Amino acid sequence: MSLVNFTAREITCKLVYYGPGRSGKTTNLQYVYGRVPEGRRGRMVSLATQTDRTLFFDFLPLELGSISGFTTKFQLYTVPGQSYYNATRKLVLQGADGVVFVADSQARRFDDNLESLQNLQDNLLSQGVDVRQLPVAFQYNKQDLPRDLILTPEEMDDALNFRAVQSFSADALHGSGVFETLRGISEQVLKRLAAGTQVA
Amino acid sequence: MSAAQVALDRVTRVPGVRGALIASSTDGLVVAEQLMDGVDGRAAAALTGSLVARLARTTAGAGLRAPVFLHLRGEGGSILAAPGTDGLVLVAVAGPEANVGLARLEMLNAAGRLG
Amino acid sequence: MRALEPWVEAPLQAFLAESAARLTLLMTSSGQVVAQHGFGRSLDVMTAAALGAGIVASTEELARLMGAPKFEALVHHGGHQSCLLAAFATPRGRWIGLVVFGQETSVGIVQLFFDQLVQQLTDSAPREQAPAPRLAENFEHELDASLRALFGR
Ligand SMILES: Nc1nc2c(ncn2[C@@H]2O[C@H](COP(=O)(O)OP(=O)(O)OP(=O)(O)O)[C@@H](O)[C@H]2O)c(=O)[nH]1
Ligand SMILES: [Mg+2]
Repeated sequence: MSLVNFTAREITCKLVYYGPGRSGKTTNLQYVYGRVPEGRRGRMVSLATQTDRTLFFDFLPLELGSISGFTTKFQLYTVPGQSYYNATRKLVLQGADGVVFVADSQARRFDDNLESLQNLQDNLLSQGVDVRQLPVAFQYNKQDLPRDLILTPEEMDDALNFRAVQSFSADALHGSGVFETLRGISEQVLKRLAAGTQVA
Repeated sequence: MSAAQVALDRVTRVPGVRGALIASSTDGLVVAEQLMDGVDGRAAAALTGSLVARLARTTAGAGLRAPVFLHLRGEGGSILAAPGTDGLVLVAVAGPEANVGLARLEMLNAAGRLG
Repeated sequence: MRALEPWVEAPLQAFLAESAARLTLLMTSSGQVVAQHGFGRSLDVMTAAALGAGIVASTEELARLMGAPKFEALVHHGGHQSCLLAAFATPRGRWIGLVVFGQETSVGIVQLFFDQLVQQLTDSAPREQAPAPRLAENFEHELDASLRALFGR
């Protein structure tokens, strides 16, 4: 849950990048890390296997700056996408203020996306969180791949985005859509905070 | 009975001694203890262990040999400590009426055999 | 030393004085920083908190899987520096303490005064949480401007 501190005038929000294995969650954070000025970001930590698969999480702290006199910070996490790591995925998901679901647009990964989305709902539910109450944004990644290999953003929306929440098409490897997604989820989370539903 | 238990037994038998323990002076943890109710062994081990380690550093810095016995007298009683080998310290918590002389003898004797 | 809430300061100050710890970090169980001493950059503190909370969460889960009671504290003994990691209950929910200390003190001392810190935090936590003031009316408007500034669009 976001921590709003009125004494120190600080807001801290936890954003979690979720999705099936190899969909590009870590790539999103790496791109953000490479593009945000040094004074606005901390070290990026990646707890990964030797083959660069996320083992526990990636973590990147960002400072958004001051909003209405509140220093606003984001903590970006990724989960390990491989189904094997569900226990650690649950731990990382705990206390998330918003979730970016990074889907792999390749047609052959269709079932993996669905399975991961179902897994997200199950894990949230087991933590007493209703997915309908949580800010969520979809990112349809790898849109740079050849047309015949991927589904269009519209097709992805039809398959995954039942509640018609925000969605973005992206090519995280080259950066398109990465900041749009981050901006979208940040806005949702902070607006929800401003509406007073979650001020702690 | 282990050497540690024998040592603790002999010290706690001294009249007025409320408990004894063996602490590691490097990490301040309890290695073995025999205490009356109400004596906080963890605190005694941590604080005495740290005191002994500091004193040893101080005397070494002054070119002296490490202390062999410590008697810390307070209003309600005393803390006695006898550093042994291997970074172990024998610690006794004694009431105001305790026979400190006898306790000292037993402790020096036992401390020599620790480790 | 820096604490988000003023009532945490005195107990933490006492702990620092008694334990001679080099670094101390208090965080919530989801890794949000509550107070810290000894860190340089505030963004690095967040990283340490995320890692600490991750370790506690995974050891607790491990304990649960093995049917063992929760670990009280995790101590990592290093040659020059050691580290203590422990979760505890406060009136504000479950918190975690991360303490890095050197050879000028000992794990026994750190643990002893850490327990005292936990007790003092429990005692000095304000009984009622002050009703949360609302974020200012112009928050949403300024939010738009800040997002534009950071993301450049
Ligand atoms: N073509 C293309 N490749 C991408 C894109 N995003 C990521 N990749 C590649 O996909 C592979 C997996 O990316 P990661 O970011 O490691 O995937 P992940 O979701 O973190 O995977 P796990 O850690 O296993 O959950 C890497 O080889 C990336 O370079 C993209 O938009 N387009
Ligand atoms: Mg990854």
